[in-house]
Amino acid sequence: MSPAYLLRQLLGVIPLLLAISLILFTVVHLAPGGPLDVYADNPSVTPAALDHIRRAYGLDQPVPLQYLMWLRSMVVGDWGFSIRTGRPVLAEIGDRLPATLLLGGSAMLLALLLALPVGVLTALHRSSRLDHVLTLLSFSGISVPVFWLALMMQLLFSILLGWLPAAGYTTFGDASLVDRMEHLAMPAIVLSLATAAGWSRFLRSSLLDVLRQDYIRTAFAKGQTVRGMLLHHALRNALVPLVTVISLDLASIISGAVITETIFAWPGIGRLFIESMDGRDYPVLMGLMMTGSLALVLANLAADIAYAVIDPRIRFG
Amino acid sequence: MPAATLPEVRPGGTLTVGLSYDLDTLNVYATGFLGDVEAAVVEGLVAPDQQAKYRPVLATMVPTVGNGGIALDPDGRMHVTYHLRSGVRWQDGMPFTAADVKYTWEAVRDPAFLAESKDGSEDIESIDTPDDLTVVVNYRHNNAAFASTLFTFGILPRHLLQGHDLNHDPYNTRPIGTGPFKVREFRRGEYVVLDRNPDYWQHDAEGRRLPYLDRIVFRIVPDSNTLGTLIRAGEIGLAPLIPYMLAKQLQGAHGIEIVRGPSLGWEHLDFSFKGAPALRDLVVRRAIAQAIDRRILVRAAGGFPLPIRSVVVPTLTGLYDPTVAVLAYDPVQANRLLDDAGYARGSDGIRSWHGHRLSFGITAQTGQIDDEIAEQIIIAELRVIGIQLSADNKTGISFRQARYRGTYDLLYGRWVTAADPVYSVFYGTRGPNNGQGYASAELDEAMRRLETEMHPEQRRRDAASMQAILARDLPTIPLLSTVSVNAKSNRLRGYVPNPTNMTDFVGVATWWLWPVTIPVAALRGGAP
Repeated sequence: MSPAYLLRQLLGVIPLLLAISLILFTVVHLAPGGPLDVYADNPSVTPAALDHIRRAYGLDQPVPLQYLMWLRSMVVGDWGFSIRTGRPVLAEIGDRLPATLLLGGSAMLLALLLALPVGVLTALHRSSRLDHVLTLLSFSGISVPVFWLALMMQLLFSILLGWLPAAGYTTFGDASLVDRMEHLAMPAIVLSLATAAGWSRFLRSSLLDVLRQDYIRTAFAKGQTVRGMLLHHALRNALVPLVTVISLDLASIISGAVITETIFAWPGIGRLFIESMDGRDYPVLMGLMMTGSLALVLANLAADIAYAVIDPRIRFG
Repeated sequence: MPAATLPEVRPGGTLTVGLSYDLDTLNVYATGFLGDVEAAVVEGLVAPDQQAKYRPVLATMVPTVGNGGIALDPDGRMHVTYHLRSGVRWQDGMPFTAADVKYTWEAVRDPAFLAESKDGSEDIESIDTPDDLTVVVNYRHNNAAFASTLFTFGILPRHLLQGHDLNHDPYNTRPIGTGPFKVREFRRGEYVVLDRNPDYWQHDAEGRRLPYLDRIVFRIVPDSNTLGTLIRAGEIGLAPLIPYMLAKQLQGAHGIEIVRGPSLGWEHLDFSFKGAPALRDLVVRRAIAQAIDRRILVRAAGGFPLPIRSVVVPTLTGLYDPTVAVLAYDPVQANRLLDDAGYARGSDGIRSWHGHRLSFGITAQTGQIDDEIAEQIIIAELRVIGIQLSADNKTGISFRQARYRGTYDLLYGRWVTAADPVYSVFYGTRGPNNGQGYASAELDEAMRRLETEMHPEQRRRDAASMQAILARDLPTIPLLSTVSVNAKSNRLRGYVPNPTNMTDFVGVATWWLWPVTIPVAALRGGAP
């Protein structure tokens, strides 16, 4: 892969993001209600005061003009102020991003650690009892609602056993790694289970496909062990399609996990999104969605690169 | 404010509180929520107590016409004089003076300040500060609800804020007040930690300096099931204002007490006069009122709320009229009303008249589990009298927008008022919260009299006529008085819910923690 190719890809991202931002801006403004509706609950906010707020945030301008204003400030790195909290959008997102990355990252890692062995085992022992049991577990993982699983785990580990804190990010005054891990355990497990189940199914079918190929038969004929065959030939090829799936899921880390974050009172991006949506906090919403889009675009790019690394037959540029 | 004088008071300890909403700002005038955290940090001149009666805080007495604190001019102007407590200091050590009170008004009414609440600031013409401890507030008109607004919410420190842009000032995340607790740390989406203010001006009856608690941690827990788990696991000691459904589940759990408190809120079924013509027909509204059994609504809500007959809740003893007419539950009579008015049933059992089918949408706020349950009951009850309802629930802003624009047929909702309620905002022809499009000159006049009248007996009569008109015209059916339901650890003592929009934490200085969990039986027996 040449540097020129990479640069071309990166430059291609810019018009894509512009188009995305235009669509998002339109969609957000099409939703009923506006940020000032929260003030309607309060009879003492006079029409004059509302007018002032409207002008202060440029909400009195036509939507296309608002878009251009937003774009201009985005380009120079000013993401505006949250209408709800009056704080800079970048500060709002910056406050929440670490929690989301920690949760999403650990959940992904956990999912990968689960999915790889399960996928390989079920593919190698197709139609065995082990395959049936693991398949059943995988489908349970896919179909059990996240909120139910979360509640059950809280009931078991927090109320009945008292081993883990039921919710939260840290205990105030305790900045230790152990405390962090205790808070992380349940949400990361809950979040990873559904993903792991999906990935293992994906790996299983992709591996089964590969195992039917001629070169695998040849490898066995040449006296290759199962382990050697997996490591040298099959797994590498079987992982190529999985990389696409994983990269797309990676991007979703940035967008947060709304349900998991809400149930475990996790101060992440997903909850910020819901609050901002409920309050029609346009600047924060746009900031969040653009961050998510950027992550998705970059994840795709990363997937392309990963292809090339894993599969020498794929070459770009 | 007299403090608890129980001999067993044990100062110290950390109380962890579960808040069900994510805080936006800690500026009382800018937040979109009730200021739970703020009430422990920032004080006003007066504050409503547990009976919704005003008590002096930073003022030495509550001004009334009787004590000379309020002077009424013949031309309708009103002058309210507050004498301030001496020796009070801000949490940064600077003295609190009349200039701070005047600055608060100037800051809040400043159009550049994007306040959520500018309540009362527009009615004030000027403020005089003859000396450091005297404030004379000159109102343009008589205002019976003056105490519910501006200076009750809290006073802003002039020395820290004058000349600043209040919209983006660090004060909004780290307010400085005169209150019993000061902000130590605010982690967005996570928690707010308050530490005891060691220089707080108030003492208890035994001369001990308040507050008793060393620290309060407010944990933000947006999911009510999780809130229940946390209190059961002992991770939080107080969860104020929980849904009835959760309280029902927590009742009887080890070490947990459910504390009910009166509230100035009420739940109601509103009709929009802007849509379906049949809802403008009083006969239909009367039939609907008679088809709803409040007792079933109460039972479904775990027995917590109380059935009501008027938008004035019984807690407001000065204004509530217990004799106001109410249409009792009587589906037979409701059916007869509709039959007589010519609303004939179709083959599917749903009535119609001249092509107007009695089929409507009913709107409640999505996620308000208690309201959604009530909504389902109402749908079932109206089916009995041949009226078809389908749920048309909305979230957040969409719900508010529908409510304020009247873009619904029927709406199940709640209002809560200050200790001095103003009803014209809800039912006045030009009331800002009147999205229903209901208009009555007669009612407007009754409410105008009520809101400018300062004499209690006359106020009671004005309130009665307002209630009678609402009961006759039925723009809204008052159904349940909201009861504040709070879950707390039985270690927490001295806690009494506050019924007003000033939140329970206005009384936090006298709360304290028993060092160990007490068996519920011992509590009931009296001595722990």
